[in-house]
Amino acid sequence: MILSLALLGSTAAVVSANEDDGTSWVVLADQVFTADGQVFEGGFVAVADGKITGVGPGGGSGGSELDVHAVTPGMIDLGVRITSDPDAVEQSTETALTMRVAHGLDLFSLAWDRELRSGVTTVLASAPDRNVIGGLSIAIKTGGEPTLEARTVKADAALRGSFGTEPSQGNQSSSGTPQSFYVRRPTTRMGVEWEFRKAFYDAVAAQRFTEREFEGSEVLQSILDGDLPLSVQAWGTQDIRTAIYLKEEFKIPNMFVDAAAEAWMEPELLVRSGIGVVLPPFSFSGRVGRDRAFFAWNTAKQLSELGVPFALSGHGTADASQRLAYQPGLAMRGGLSLEAALEAVTIAPARMIGIDDRVGSIEVGKDADLVLWSGPPFQPTSRVVGVMLDGHLILDPRETNE
Amino acid sequence: MILTLLGSMALAYSTPAVPLTVVSKPQAPAVESFAVRAKLVKLGDGTTLEEGVVWVEDGKIRAVGRGVELPAGTILIEHDGVLTAGMVAPHTYTGAAGELADSTRAFLPELHAKHAYNPSHSDFRRAVEAGVTTVLLAPRKENVAGGMTAAVKTFGDRVVSTDKHLHLSLHTTALWGWREPTSWPGAITELEKRLRQGEGAFGEAASGRLPVMIEAWSRQETARALDFATRNKLTGALRGGSRAGEMVDRVVASKLSMIVGPFAIGDDKRHIDSVLTLAEAGVPVAFGMSAPDEDPRGMRLSAARCVRAGLDATVAWHGLTSTSAKIAGVGDQVGRLERGFDADLVLWSGEPLEWTSRVEAVYVDGKLAFGGDR
Repeated sequence: MILSLALLGSTAAVVSANEDDGTSWVVLADQVFTADGQVFEGGFVAVADGKITGVGPGGGSGGSELDVHAVTPGMIDLGVRITSDPDAVEQSTETALTMRVAHGLDLFSLAWDRELRSGVTTVLASAPDRNVIGGLSIAIKTGGEPTLEARTVKADAALRGSFGTEPSQGNQSSSGTPQSFYVRRPTTRMGVEWEFRKAFYDAVAAQRFTEREFEGSEVLQSILDGDLPLSVQAWGTQDIRTAIYLKEEFKIPNMFVDAAAEAWMEPELLVRSGIGVVLPPFSFSGRVGRDRAFFAWNTAKQLSELGVPFALSGHGTADASQRLAYQPGLAMRGGLSLEAALEAVTIAPARMIGIDDRVGSIEVGKDADLVLWSGPPFQPTSRVVGVMLDGHLILDPRETNE
Repeated sequence: MILTLLGSMALAYSTPAVPLTVVSKPQAPAVESFAVRAKLVKLGDGTTLEEGVVWVEDGKIRAVGRGVELPAGTILIEHDGVLTAGMVAPHTYTGAAGELADSTRAFLPELHAKHAYNPSHSDFRRAVEAGVTTVLLAPRKENVAGGMTAAVKTFGDRVVSTDKHLHLSLHTTALWGWREPTSWPGAITELEKRLRQGEGAFGEAASGRLPVMIEAWSRQETARALDFATRNKLTGALRGGSRAGEMVDRVVASKLSMIVGPFAIGDDKRHIDSVLTLAEAGVPVAFGMSAPDEDPRGMRLSAARCVRAGLDATVAWHGLTSTSAKIAGVGDQVGRLERGFDADLVLWSGEPLEWTSRVEAVYVDGKLAFGGDR
């Protein structure tokens, strides 16, 4: 049943969810995790017209009832790699400042539905990390009508950059001599850092002298002003350090490192710089990413204790073991509290890109994006038995519980 | 129904007492004036005449009607079948021998498809034999901005009009690995930059004065093209959109026309359903001819397949003639049998949307291009 619905695509799924002829629901749960600091033992969440209309202890009324073990906000993933097509990578420039990944998205892809059905309701979709600066990311729902208009939570939610070997290694020609378009500069970490620094240096110059303005300087300007978050991929310790040094050099107020597996190696720098962290999916080998960065189990716990803003990510891969729904459980295995783990997949990522007024917690007036669980959330024995997106029941716990 | 006489000029010439030279086979007339009387004449505006007459003079249609009075000595060709205007292919690469794509640069708005027109190319003979008398040559989909279209005749070496559309492609083949842009974000960013800068053809397109023709086939390409056109308030047509009917509201909102097909037998039924949905919503729909890659007769078969699935036959026929001509920017010259229009005539053995009907003769600009006694 689930599989056949998934094949029909998300539009069909929304239609099928309307069988209760409604957008009014009362979710009754043994545990309601709001992600704004409250847990109700035996509580409810009321939903009408796509929004949360009530939450609290006891029961609610005014809609079709769904009875589950636990309910959490819909999960948010800032690190999904949903745009892996070659069509999404601009090979002609190292700094694609004004390009919008939104124009390359395939909203008909089944990858969205895979995310949605696993409990991820909002993602930050970014350019594939083949450019030093890959362009503007979009915060977008994983379901609903397949149009940007219907799904966008925040257009231009962040600018995406990338350090390390991913934007450089692909540039090295097998013959040693650059002979095709794909062989771009730079080919080293040094070169990547230089491209990044040059872009921001030029932006600072443009700030002072109008004749030095260039295409995209206004994008970097809003980064420097703190209006636009900067998201950079940096797996290993040297790339994380590079990111932090550049943040401090150019006084970038709102910045986070994505896939920062070795963040645990730089506690002082993280605290000093105020940079945010998105962690990659955990790996049982401990080694992650193309540079085989070492990702310690207690990384999330350590960041939490340091007070570093951080989020967990499933990276949006097809690999079921890397799904975001499993990551909090693995972080808890490394010592993270349930409360902090919940925040790391809901309200924390929402705050990092400034969409916490709409999503990220169960509060009256926010979007009715909910995940319904068969047991305690994030436990290996608990399943995602229900998903609600904007009040539409995408995955029905009455069917999945059977 | 219609109509006896069209205009005073026809009256002035009429000398009804003198017998006409009546022939039963289409001929290449020695004089520049002749007429065809057919059992059924489809005018292309929804009107059908029984025993109608089309009078041709100097390559143009002089008069159309049931009681057209012809001057003495006019050759009158009696046709025991259906007479229509020549079909118009609103988007094709035919007869250009692969000269419609430039591989080195993706943005070439200054190019003109008319310079690739080779009137003696054998593609055109096949098109004439299929009943197609006008085609819109379009720069190929391998360039993001391929250049300007040209409407040309399939017989007789004539460019009907040029520079009626800026041809754009948001088809995946417009992105090549070794030239910029290589990505959708890159292509859209560059297109919008040029529209904003407003120079040349892009400026004309941005102001809405110059229609665009955008190639986009898959669902995601179609959605991207519709968003792009709507956001930039472009006018014109979308070429492809195999499943555009599934997002018909967005097509309607974009105000773009659609060039669909061709549909081969056994093609995805969703593509046919899409056409029906578009037509039902009032979107102007014309049938494309993917020649030379496919047989030009596929254009008529596509329309017939849609009629079989429930498309209104008149809408389908106009999608091969008058609607098609309008989308191609030559709707005031070809695609209908009307006084002053080009004398492009097709003599069919029967109803053209019946697949058993044959093209028996074709006139282009009043000259016999196929069939009959030449």
